[in-house]
Amino acid sequence: MKNNILFLIHLGILMGIHISIQAQDLLDKLDQEYPDDPQYQLATFKASRISIGHSVETRKKGVLEFQGFTRYWNIPNSRGQSFVADRMGARIGLEYGISDRLTWGGGWSTLDGIFDSFFKYKLIRQRSDGKGAPVSLTLFQNIAYRSERNPPLPDINRFDTFQDQLSFTTQLLLARKFTPQFSAQISPTYIHRSSSAFAEDPNNQFAIGIGGRYKVGGHVSIVSEYYYVINPLESFTTYDAFALGVNWELSDVMLQFKLTNTWFFSEEAFITQTPNNFNFNDGNLTFGFNAIFVLHTNQKEK
Amino acid sequence: MNKFIVLIFFFINFTDFDAKSDQFITRQGQVSFFSYTSVEDIEAKNNQVLSIIDISKKEIAVSMLMNAFVFKKSLMHEHFNESYIESDLYPKATFGGKIIDFDPSDASMQTRMVKGNLTIHGITKAVEIKTTIEQIDGSYIITGDFEVPVKDFDIKIPPILAPNIAKIISIKFRFEYQHYEK
Repeated sequence: MKNNILFLIHLGILMGIHISIQAQDLLDKLDQEYPDDPQYQLATFKASRISIGHSVETRKKGVLEFQGFTRYWNIPNSRGQSFVADRMGARIGLEYGISDRLTWGGGWSTLDGIFDSFFKYKLIRQRSDGKGAPVSLTLFQNIAYRSERNPPLPDINRFDTFQDQLSFTTQLLLARKFTPQFSAQISPTYIHRSSSAFAEDPNNQFAIGIGGRYKVGGHVSIVSEYYYVINPLESFTTYDAFALGVNWELSDVMLQFKLTNTWFFSEEAFITQTPNNFNFNDGNLTFGFNAIFVLHTNQKEK
Repeated sequence: MNKFIVLIFFFINFTDFDAKSDQFITRQGQVSFFSYTSVEDIEAKNNQVLSIIDISKKEIAVSMLMNAFVFKKSLMHEHFNESYIESDLYPKATFGGKIIDFDPSDASMQTRMVKGNLTIHGITKAVEIKTTIEQIDGSYIITGDFEVPVKDFDIKIPPILAPNIAKIISIKFRFEYQHYEK
């Protein structure tokens, strides 16, 4: 008898459970079924540059980027009639994703005729599932060759041999995407210049870059960057590079607009040899515009 | 003796024995979507969709990670997750509903309506989807396709890119179920 009652109670409980089970319980069950695959943060930054300096982002495998970077500024008290601005600098470059983690890039800048080439390797990827690495780490190494003298500025390296005109930049790019909108990066930088025209100038220079972006919409973000040089040049006064800009992406095109104080594009030049500070004076305030076109050379087959 | 029976009941209750035998699951379900415009064709496929059906209660649930969609272009994948579907905030899309007039014992193909709630981008809408259910060796294959308007799910498309993305996205799915065993 007692057994029967228990059986009925049990039946009741079972029925009750069954009636209350909706598809929601099936959905809850599915939540348990997700494999424990690591989930990585996507797009800490969008482009390979935050604004003037490199970001942790590498290109995906098979992606080829065509880059046109330009800067415009005025000569103080000039009565010139140049179109738009007195002076203009440009860098044309390419970047290619050898693998999802390894990117090669290179380019040529008009100012000082600097040829630069670099490799970037994404060593650590930030996880978005709360486990594993809380930051992304990318190693950056470039080599730059200064092919021309730049008359208004003192030449800080000798031009005797090919080797004299070389410089090397090593960066550890460390970034974290804090929220879907906000990412920040800190970039310890080591720069080695093969030769110095002045004995008092250090051949090895150290700098720390900080940068950040804040997304103001799905496609637009505000970015800023600052590079602090620990042991600046002695032969002439240099200032730390600063940039404030807006990045805008449209399908296969990325546009970067910025106000900055540096005219240079290559790391060793803009970090250590910027001759003017960031203000609104003629000759100091530089407007920059980067256009990047993305081409997918190997499209994934489905 | 009584205690023993109670124990058995408890055991049955906890293992949920009868529910288990009625449930079928897939962990490699396929969902693909298409956006065709004169400017650009966009398609993406997700091969890791989870789905479970309960044939006694005629219920179905589907759940997928948005960043598991594979696109032809890696940049499309980034834009989809970062700018449109915002998978940082809404990592999953889900569907839960009932298969109307489903006959689990019918060995032939049956076309049935599925009524339920579709959640994408944090927005839930009631939908009705026509599906084809096939029974093979005591297991089930459910296939079908349907269309969703982009604006129903509050996905923001900047006016300059509006010609690139279709107003209505067509979605195809195919789930091959197996007996659910924990």
